[in-house]
Amino acid sequence: MKVLIKGIWLLLTLLLLAGIYPKHAYEQFVAEHADQYLQVQKIKDCDVIYLSASSNFASGLARETDPRKISQMIADHFPALQFEAINKPASHAGIHVNLLEMFRENAEAETFIVTMNLRSFGPDWIYSELETPLQQSTLFYNNRLPLINRALVSLRAYDDQSTEERHAQRKSAWADDPLPFDPPQDNVTDWCAVEKWGDWRNPKRQLADQFIKQYGFVLDASNPRVKDFDRMSAMAEEEGWTMVFNILAENLETADSLVGKDLTSLMRRNTQWLVDRYEEKGHELVNNLEQVSHAHFTDKDFPTEHYDDIGRRIIADNVAEGLARALAQKNSKNDN
Amino acid sequence: MLFNSLPFLIFLPTVVLLYYLLPHRTRWILLLAASYIFYGYWKVEYLSLILASTTVDYFVARYIHATPSRLHKRMGLAVSLITNLGLLAFFKYSGWFIEDVLDPVVGLTDGQLDSFRKAWDFLLPVGISFYTFQTLGYTIDVYFGKAVPEKNPLKFALFVSYFPQLVAGPIERFSHLHQQLFQRVSFEYANLQQGGRLILYGLFIKMCVADNVSPIVDQIFGHSAEADGIQLAAGMLLFGLQIYSDFHGYSLIAIGTAKLLGVNLMDNFNAPYTSLSIREFWGRWHISLSTWFRDYLFIPLGGSKAGMTKLAINILIVFLVSGLWHGANWTFVVWGAMHGLAYLAERWLFPMRTKSRVGSALKWIWTMVIVFFAWIFFRSESVAHGTDYIMQMLQNTGDGLTIEWDPFLASIVGIFILSDLLFRNRSIHVWLESTSTLIRWSVYALLLFFITGFAGTVQHPFIYFQF
Repeated sequence: MKVLIKGIWLLLTLLLLAGIYPKHAYEQFVAEHADQYLQVQKIKDCDVIYLSASSNFASGLARETDPRKISQMIADHFPALQFEAINKPASHAGIHVNLLEMFRENAEAETFIVTMNLRSFGPDWIYSELETPLQQSTLFYNNRLPLINRALVSLRAYDDQSTEERHAQRKSAWADDPLPFDPPQDNVTDWCAVEKWGDWRNPKRQLADQFIKQYGFVLDASNPRVKDFDRMSAMAEEEGWTMVFNILAENLETADSLVGKDLTSLMRRNTQWLVDRYEEKGHELVNNLEQVSHAHFTDKDFPTEHYDDIGRRIIADNVAEGLARALAQKNSKNDN
Repeated sequence: MLFNSLPFLIFLPTVVLLYYLLPHRTRWILLLAASYIFYGYWKVEYLSLILASTTVDYFVARYIHATPSRLHKRMGLAVSLITNLGLLAFFKYSGWFIEDVLDPVVGLTDGQLDSFRKAWDFLLPVGISFYTFQTLGYTIDVYFGKAVPEKNPLKFALFVSYFPQLVAGPIERFSHLHQQLFQRVSFEYANLQQGGRLILYGLFIKMCVADNVSPIVDQIFGHSAEADGIQLAAGMLLFGLQIYSDFHGYSLIAIGTAKLLGVNLMDNFNAPYTSLSIREFWGRWHISLSTWFRDYLFIPLGGSKAGMTKLAINILIVFLVSGLWHGANWTFVVWGAMHGLAYLAERWLFPMRTKSRVGSALKWIWTMVIVFFAWIFFRSESVAHGTDYIMQMLQNTGDGLTIEWDPFLASIVGIFILSDLLFRNRSIHVWLESTSTLIRWSVYALLLFFITGFAGTVQHPFIYFQF
């Protein structure tokens, strides 16, 4: 009986403190650690949601005449529709699928454009040190009590691996995952070791190695990002959502000039694999892989999907076409 | 498995429940299995290391005990020393030795260094410094006839791997821990209460104090060139607070966990920042390690019975080895040397025997200056970094960093510091026991609230895991 009274006292005190907690500490914490949650919370009466990593952002270059994001450029094509964008650098399908779960509960939108960033399927991104804070943020994408969410963060109830552990996994993937070429190009590590452009001190050699590390992988159904897109696809089917997958442009010209045809063929092959897989599942795929030329990539010293205003416009126009097709198909289904 | 993680929150109650449900004779098997799961959860491959250390010391200790030959006993001890210190040397010191010792002396080529880095690019096994010292202590005890070796290899394996103190101590002695592991323990509410209280307070100071201070310390030490003198001094003080609350918190959780299972582990900390000398500091800081070094290194070297020069050399050896034990970097050697030299200075140059208030205050200031300045090297990336940090702190040349100080978190830190000063020589859990039920359980609720709502979110585990 004594223990019971103590337990009840503990619970009551905790409940009282939990009631005070959200206003004073939680909101600030969420803003710092899971801003995408707040972005979702702000969305009201929206038709189309655009989910992406940093590729949506303007580069900020002085020569740009149009400082808008890709999502805003797409919205130009659909004045009758309300668009919203949720972006976070380094974000990927594993995070987007959790955000979509929130829309499942709140049902604010029924059409989603999700970027498919080819690099995000590779080991460098999968085992990035940025993954730990991203995984931590996923704990907030739900309607649990604030103090419970915060406690789960405190107890590291997410994929909480150290940078060293993630880098060890990445290294092992580069060394062990087979590539469809003859040695020494049968794995990323050996491929990078091949002399090209002199030794590692040459910037061209460093960039060539980065291209191999970013795009040197073979996609299959076991890839974690593919599993995330599969989950998204299943979710869309269950909820009756319209999904448009936006395969972003990569700098194939630089990949070709620095590394060669083997790498670009691998990039095309992986992209085609994605197109086939998700078209078969009934989604609209917009393949921008080779749509932006080298001149319109803003980062020249690392492979990224950051484009100037012309590059963003090209992507936006293609996605708008795809979205129009998807919406037309949806309308015709509804009419039938 | 980390103590401050959800898996441990499930693991611990499960083990405790099963422990008291099982008949006495099978409980140790549960503890052994739990200990291997606890360690293997982090990285299964490294279970082989603890197994290797256990196997070698099991056979070596039995051999030393059985053989009448002094030479053979010595050879047995050498095998144990080579195996355990060899494991440590390979995993912990080989990288440092080649890059920071061998390379500057013989001048390795870029290619040689590169291939070495590739070959040695593995993670340091968690807690290797702790369990190798514990098992080494056992063999030395057997060698000197202070312990009779365990006959059952699995029971010995439990002594080496006992999960509450496996990865960061307290480093236990065979004579203290072994018999407790196999004694008949009946369920007692008092054990549950005391253990739970220690775990709760340990989690609070680790998660709310150490982990919240950590980002500020990282910022100041990471950008020390830009920080101003006051910020650098704050960084030094806060690191002292961080490492103390981190390790003290861990030790309390370890002691509390063992207490739930009816085992008393030794205390590891006792308000070290109230020390009035370096000698006293080492009697209050990481007590299980300092007594280990005293018993297994200082005394075998000759202890205090040696002449003055020999004694000074022995003291310096102990502090330098202690520094190196903490990490493979010259910074730890400097840290150890600073403590060693200060210890010698206290002993011979200015033995401060005064008991007046002013005298005590001066002694305290002296001790803290040494301890906190030494922490700068402990935390720095290199000796040069540590030296620059001190110079800049004293000269106040930096422009200043923009540091976000959270007043609420600062007050949590303040509460901890005050309580530590207030409860000098008396644990907070003893104080809690003497208060009324209402206050006690309100404090529990408050601690739980702080742990769940205000724990730091840094991405590194306990600092001492890396040692």
